[in-house]
Amino acid sequence: MLNVIVYGLAIGAVYAATALVYNVMYSTSKVLSVSTGHISMLGGIFGAYFLAQLKLPLIIGLLGAIAVGAAFNYLTELIAVRRVLARSDEHLWLLSTLAVATMISQIMALWWGTEPKPFPRLFPQGFSQGIADQKYWLPIGATIIGAVGLEIFYRRTMYGKLFIATSEDAFAARARGINTDRIRALSYVLSGALGGLAGFAAGQLTFAYFALGFALTLNGFIAIAVGGLGSNLGAVIGGIALGMMSSFATYFFGGEYQQTVAIGVLILVLIVKPEGLFGSKQVRPV
Amino acid sequence: MLQAESVSKRFGGLTALSSVSLELRPGEVHGLIGPNGSGKTTLLNMMSGYYPVDEGTIRLDTHVLNREGVAERAQRGIARTFQKPRLLGPLSVLDNAMLGGWRDVKSGFISTALSLPRALRDERGLRDRAAEMLHGVGMAHALDRPASLLEHAEQRFLEIARGLVSRPRFLLLDEPAGGLTPTEIDHLATVIGVLRESGIGVLLVEHHTDFVFRISDRVTALDLGRLVRHGTPDEVRNDAEVIRVYLGA
Amino acid sequence: MTEHSRGARIATLVMGAVFLVALPFIVRDQYQLHLAQLIGVYWILIAGLNLVIGYSGQLSVGHVGLLAVGAYGFAIIAGKYDFPPLLALIACGALGGLCGFLLGLPSLRLPGFYFAMVTLAFAVIVTEQSVAQTDLTGGGVGLPVPGFAAPFDSPEGFYWLILAVAAAITWLTWNIARLMWGRALIGVRDSEVAARSVGISVYRVKLIVFVFSGVTAGIAGGLFASLQSYITPDTFIFELGLFFFTCIIIGGRGSIFGPFVGTVILTAIPEVVAPLAKLGNFFYGFLLLVVVLLTPEGFGRLFQQALARFNPKVAESTVVAPDPALLRKALQRAED
Repeated sequence: MLNVIVYGLAIGAVYAATALVYNVMYSTSKVLSVSTGHISMLGGIFGAYFLAQLKLPLIIGLLGAIAVGAAFNYLTELIAVRRVLARSDEHLWLLSTLAVATMISQIMALWWGTEPKPFPRLFPQGFSQGIADQKYWLPIGATIIGAVGLEIFYRRTMYGKLFIATSEDAFAARARGINTDRIRALSYVLSGALGGLAGFAAGQLTFAYFALGFALTLNGFIAIAVGGLGSNLGAVIGGIALGMMSSFATYFFGGEYQQTVAIGVLILVLIVKPEGLFGSKQVRPV
Repeated sequence: MLQAESVSKRFGGLTALSSVSLELRPGEVHGLIGPNGSGKTTLLNMMSGYYPVDEGTIRLDTHVLNREGVAERAQRGIARTFQKPRLLGPLSVLDNAMLGGWRDVKSGFISTALSLPRALRDERGLRDRAAEMLHGVGMAHALDRPASLLEHAEQRFLEIARGLVSRPRFLLLDEPAGGLTPTEIDHLATVIGVLRESGIGVLLVEHHTDFVFRISDRVTALDLGRLVRHGTPDEVRNDAEVIRVYLGA
Repeated sequence: MTEHSRGARIATLVMGAVFLVALPFIVRDQYQLHLAQLIGVYWILIAGLNLVIGYSGQLSVGHVGLLAVGAYGFAIIAGKYDFPPLLALIACGALGGLCGFLLGLPSLRLPGFYFAMVTLAFAVIVTEQSVAQTDLTGGGVGLPVPGFAAPFDSPEGFYWLILAVAAAITWLTWNIARLMWGRALIGVRDSEVAARSVGISVYRVKLIVFVFSGVTAGIAGGLFASLQSYITPDTFIFELGLFFFTCIIIGGRGSIFGPFVGTVILTAIPEVVAPLAKLGNFFYGFLLLVVVLLTPEGFGRLFQQALARFNPKVAESTVVAPDPALLRKALQRAED
């Protein structure tokens, strides 16, 4: 039973991290990108590539995965978001980010292969450690670092305050001289880094697998829809709740009901409280 | 009669309207003026159903509308135009105007899919009616043009035509003179005059106070969400408080 | 439309119809006929989905789930329970419509991204359950699917069945598109505010159209299953849902013909141009991105604009000139 809980926390942490990434991107662009989950997918795959295949030292692998995540998301902003937002048709960014997500999935499938590949140990540890296995605690740790880091960033740094200003009123922010384009790009770089870190940390849990992209996009979305878009606390709680529910569903009903249960919860929440547990009614994506 | 009785509206900490009343009678042009932030568009939005009321009642004859949404009110014959025209760009002017006839479409999805005679009759009837309205308001020259290619004035008149195709009892105009040349404003006055003669109640929310005083039967002036003065155009125009609000603002 | 262009249109339509009916005699091998059958089946689903995506603007990426429902439904009803295939096909349509209703009911009120994700989630559930419910669906092993009775049991016969169904569905959607419902749907897509202001019940309209797309998906699923003659959960991967979606966007929203051409091209190209087959979804994603960035109205619109260049440009008036007498008469007539 303890296994079930720890697994739930760990996978929940990955969902929570994805939900945080959604939040950061949404806050400055009002865009929910279909490629959000793919950032972590890339973090995992490139982490495995740098460490296992190129045999690079841990710190390089880690920084490399973070850099790939940041670069991918920056490119996404440049190609799929910036030009599209300028046209002001509300649905187009959904199509463009969907296109990007599809392309990167296929590229990874072709280059890395369609089978999930193992992710190497980051710290020496045997394989029968049970709940003390690093594959559980690395993602939990990464998400804690990410969540705390975001809080500090928003409250204590100048750029964090600029993010908040842009998210609350982009028009006013521009009037005050804030370059909203650059802030948005920066937020995508930051969230990309976070996603890359989360994917790297979760690699041993999820394996390096190209199909993780859409899976995390969906589950991260469920986490943020349940927790409430715009709330980082909601992202974390939504993610943990989803992880735990999936874990217990697998334990009681078998693995084939994992997604069904998760989605059932999503539908329920969306019917009863569409803005999520901690979301405010105002923060509705158009 | 379409009326707002002592309606109030708050947005967060901001009070947009405070206990304002207004009566719109058939066959009458009722001007609604006020400086920016006076709440005139808010009031129009509440009467047409885009904002719920916080306090007060919106009433159509004896029927309370508060709980009814925009579409339901439109089905009762309350039509409106928008400050920034909302048209369907890819569709032609005629198609856009025909959209206003949805209220009279009797054929459902299945009848339409099977192109039953009823559906074809609806289509022909609406096409004729829409074309007539467009001719009437002055858009005959552009029936087949995509709405995305229209000039600003054409867009405004198209929106009015669309509203008229719905056979409204009341037409609420949200700053229709915005961006129009003096000639076009004259045309607008002509059109509104015909509407009044035909028994439609017209609510005219406007910035162009001269224009409002010229064609309205009655005028309501707001400031900062409160009623300042209500009466005939002359009464309102010469009211000391109204002058202060406009010159002082 | 001028008499001239109307005549040209009808002639083209007739020629196209003759070509399609005669196709089995024109193509050289079974493989090409099979491809035509596949395009026809896909189009049956896409024609209905077109009203949802291209007209009402609801971005459903999970319709492959409804295809799977129809497919498994047919395999079970006509296969396991030995019902007459045509009857089973109708049942599949009804089943698809029911699932469309259940899926659309909670999700169509949600904003765009949420709705898209819920449809994606639906497709995931269908896949998961088709593996899990082994007694019903054969689990990972899958199910064999029966063919149709004579005269549809030959490849040509089956092709003509598909063609007939596709033609019927196309005719239904064409009627919806060109009459008032079409305008209402575009209103829902491009300006819900305007749509509401003329009395359109946005949610109700979205739901009705979505249910219709469920019916066409169910029917397409039954025919698809029979075409494949054996289905497993792997047959209905998420990427197929993306494919349907892309055919519509590339072909152009607000058109019947555009998505049809899109379907033909996107189905045929990977078969014809081998390297593209390997790229598969990358190619679809790339096309989708190109369309969104360059011509959001789809390639159909681009084509139209190119054609328009060849038409002489008449100086167009933009002067608004009301006719009070006419207006008065029109308003009076409207009262009756």
